[in-house]
Amino acid sequence: MCIISFSTYDNPLRKSFPEICQSDPKEWKSSKDLRSNLGHLESELLFLSTLTDINIISYSKKTKNLTSTEMTEKSIKKVLQRHKLSGNCHMITFQVEFQILEVQNQENLSSVITDLNIIMEPTAYSELSEFVSRAEERRDLFMFFRSLHFFVEWCEYRKRTFKHFKEKYPEAVHLLEGASSSYMGIQSTSQPGFELVIVWRIQVDEEGKVLPKLDLLTKVPQQALELDKKGVIETAPLSFRTLLGVLGIEVAVESLIRLLCIEENH
Amino acid sequence: MDLANTSSQEGEPKGGVLAHLERLEARSRKKFEEPQGTPAAESALRSKILQLRRLRDQLRAAVERHGARVEASAEPDQALQDSEQALERKREDVKAILQAYRFTGLSGKLTSRGVCVCIQTAFQGNLLDSYFVDLVIQKPLRIHHHSVPVFIPLEEIAAKSLQTDLRHFLFSLCEHLNAYAGRKYQADRLQSDFAAFLAGPLQRNALCNLLSFTYKAEPGGQAFPFCARLLYKDLTVTLPTDVSVTYEGTDTPSPSWEEQRASHEHLLRTKPLHHVFAAFARGEERLELRLAY
Repeated sequence: MCIISFSTYDNPLRKSFPEICQSDPKEWKSSKDLRSNLGHLESELLFLSTLTDINIISYSKKTKNLTSTEMTEKSIKKVLQRHKLSGNCHMITFQVEFQILEVQNQENLSSVITDLNIIMEPTAYSELSEFVSRAEERRDLFMFFRSLHFFVEWCEYRKRTFKHFKEKYPEAVHLLEGASSSYMGIQSTSQPGFELVIVWRIQVDEEGKVLPKLDLLTKVPQQALELDKKGVIETAPLSFRTLLGVLGIEVAVESLIRLLCIEENH
Repeated sequence: MDLANTSSQEGEPKGGVLAHLERLEARSRKKFEEPQGTPAAESALRSKILQLRRLRDQLRAAVERHGARVEASAEPDQALQDSEQALERKREDVKAILQAYRFTGLSGKLTSRGVCVCIQTAFQGNLLDSYFVDLVIQKPLRIHHHSVPVFIPLEEIAAKSLQTDLRHFLFSLCEHLNAYAGRKYQADRLQSDFAAFLAGPLQRNALCNLLSFTYKAEPGGQAFPFCARLLYKDLTVTLPTDVSVTYEGTDTPSPSWEEQRASHEHLLRTKPLHHVFAAFARGEERLELRLAY
């Protein structure tokens, strides 16, 4: 970025100009430009992290050229990339390391993930550890992020739903392990022997699809069981599943609560 | 100067210095009064003066700038340089992280209108095509243009969640595109790598969710051909929802054929298509086999 060009005149300051010309062009960019560019990039980053619900905190990349002279003769290029990134998706933090082998020949470019390692915290979500090993086995990085997103979405929805019911029916609803657990207990204050437990698991299937799985557990005093001629208690779990299919999660759960707490009609 | 001093010390040619100066004065007066020479020489001199003046101005400006820089890099502007360096480092970091978002499968860039989202597809570690959706941030949110293939139900997905939950819309589209890319990859691999097993052409639709082909478990061998029909009713899956394998031979099938047929059906329903044929190539058809990914 030389400012002045001299041709014929001898000038005592000439020696210092090459120094100035060769200095890092970025230093000539004013602080203001740098700041505004950084601002733009940061807003783009904020947008992406909001869009994907995934917050990447650090990323590094190393490239190794594996092209042999033989390959160069055939105009084949082979490169091994090592990527390392870490971040979080809501309460779950992850650290992912993977390798991509890129082979470029005259016709096409093939990119294959050759190794994938995923570390996730918290490990409390047992449903996730199985899914993580499957993703690693298949080296399916995108499936990992996609399923992680949907899993967290369902977890948040479950937490919100449990919290909602706890607030609406504080006496009847019990969250023994907190709103983040998979259990919600319903107990009638007038009939303390009866208890219903809703078990809400979030599972990731073979394909990486995230599905909620709800079950009903009943706790009923022996006496009541004996009086139950129609076997309502026995069929309760099945009926609950049907109810779920028809009414959806929230309405099905609410109707159960109301059933047990007839006096606490809101 | 020396001349003057010597003169005063020696006390002799004071007049010598003065005389010298007088002579110089006379000469300059003469030069001033005499014509300056030919007009050509005059114009040459004039242009030289202009050039020298220009040079002087440029030098002055450069010196000023250089001087300002030197001033700036003095005292606390070490801090300014450091903060500039820190800003630069931060900028590089942010740029790197923006690049890293490609690996989540979903990335994008802000545009003047809104945002251009890029969806990357892959199947089991093989990076495949990427697609983009250019969104205009308006009320209502609008898709300006996109590279999503026409047989992907984009309008349907958009109708469900584009206006209410952009994130859900994009992830749903991601699911569809990745599933399509995965199905296509499997079908392509079957056609290219295992053509020897196929008794006829692989029939497939654009969405790659309906495949039909006739095959033999042994390439060109004595085995009787089976006809397989794979249907992927759910567009977000890469394994078929319905598989039917029928026996194509003319003789009545023996029990062993029936066993094979059932086992093939099971394999095709639970493993990726090209992996099933890779197993056939290894001479493995049994139900209990676990295929390595």
